[in-house]
Amino acid sequence: MDVIYLDNAATSWPKPPEVRDALDRYFGEGGGNPGRSGHRMSVAAARIVEDARDAVAELFAIDDPSRVLFGKNVTEGLNLGITGTVKPGDHVITSSIEHNSVMRPLRHLETIGVDVTVVACAADGTLDAAAVEAAIRPETRLIVTLHGSNVMGTLLPIADIAGIARSRGIPYLVDAAQTAGAIPIDVDALGIDMLAFTGHKALLGLTGTGGLVVADHVELEPIMRGGTGSRSDLEIQPDFRPDAFESGTLNVAGLAGLAAGVRFLLGRGVDHVAAHERSLVDRFLRGAAEVPGVEVHGPADLDLRCGVVSFAIDGLVSSEVGTLLDREYGIMSRVGLHCAPGAHRTLGTFPTGSVRFGFSVFTTHDEVDAGLEAVDEIAAWARSER
Amino acid sequence: MSALDGLLTFFASHHAVRAEKLLRTDGFAVELIPGPKELSPNCGVALRFELERRDEALGLLGSKKVEVDEVHHYVPRTDAWKPARTGRRFFRRRDE
Repeated sequence: MDVIYLDNAATSWPKPPEVRDALDRYFGEGGGNPGRSGHRMSVAAARIVEDARDAVAELFAIDDPSRVLFGKNVTEGLNLGITGTVKPGDHVITSSIEHNSVMRPLRHLETIGVDVTVVACAADGTLDAAAVEAAIRPETRLIVTLHGSNVMGTLLPIADIAGIARSRGIPYLVDAAQTAGAIPIDVDALGIDMLAFTGHKALLGLTGTGGLVVADHVELEPIMRGGTGSRSDLEIQPDFRPDAFESGTLNVAGLAGLAAGVRFLLGRGVDHVAAHERSLVDRFLRGAAEVPGVEVHGPADLDLRCGVVSFAIDGLVSSEVGTLLDREYGIMSRVGLHCAPGAHRTLGTFPTGSVRFGFSVFTTHDEVDAGLEAVDEIAAWARSER
Repeated sequence: MSALDGLLTFFASHHAVRAEKLLRTDGFAVELIPGPKELSPNCGVALRFELERRDEALGLLGSKKVEVDEVHHYVPRTDAWKPARTGRRFFRRRDE
């Protein structure tokens, strides 16, 4: 049975062949420690890191690559952006459809005296930016929201929220886990102060890579301290980017793959990726509407969606659908709560969750159709079982 | 397959995958499946096994410090899957 991989919202597969080639080159030539030893193999590794930084900076249209801080995933980027800016007594605003990579750090901060306001999204996940503005207080020090929902694909109005945040002098942190590489994001034109990204989803790189893009004016504290290969005469943390935030040896092999993934995207054009995924989502929504007993969550308006769809089949639990999709059709999906209980409460699908398909630049229309046919047969079986 | 009438759920896939490895190595019939969400929202994966070997299995897992959340008598409805071939084709595939 051929595998149809529709779990790109968890991690993308396949990767472009260029990513594998970059890893081959790394193992062949580049395997020193970046920025530490100064010999040719160390310099080669440092070049890999800086090439990755350049690629990510180009992707987000920022002119200074030192604003790209690498870490092991978007979760680390979000933790840096949140705990690196907020102190006890501060107030933080977020939305009701956030991933636990935002909510767990915030719920922890609440235990040490940070106040958190969760602004409610509508049942389809959409959010009125005015509701965010209404929640601002004198002591608000951070607004943090996702860009595209990992549960139902809803896009939040990040340009509007950024405008509000900028006018009130409050840093705005965007979780771009689902959209970086899938939807064009001009960080400075949008007025985003911090943007957390992951390397292994739409950026087509490896797990273990990600980070935070930060604006010059954001006062950010490191969350980890240690060796950087710079100012080694001092036992205090350097205060300059990126070293202040990149203690310990980076994932050089991963960053070699990330750079290749991002270069592939830049060659293809992120606007083309966005148009492709939009056509896949459109096809899925139109097809699913023909299937009795299938409910697709999230907004109908394609302008408000990224390449993630979530649905339920009448009479079946999400995990039963996932089992059949995998076992009988070779279709990889993600079922359950997607690490986002708040999003499922907003949707009304807590605690059993939903079935999710996540599309990528490599997903084909035929694969979406095969997914629809499987859903159609599973829904027919569910009707016959009742 | 019909003998796999028991289900172990776990708090984390760390424990689920370790349990699968240990039990399989010891000759148990086991199968990892997506955790049934009607039983617990916790588990990404759960482990089917033969319920009649419950005590043996729990003894082995306990001795290896693998934490089990719950033990269920559970046969997934999907075992009774009979494909309802609708023959419906979507979009381009309709014309093939």
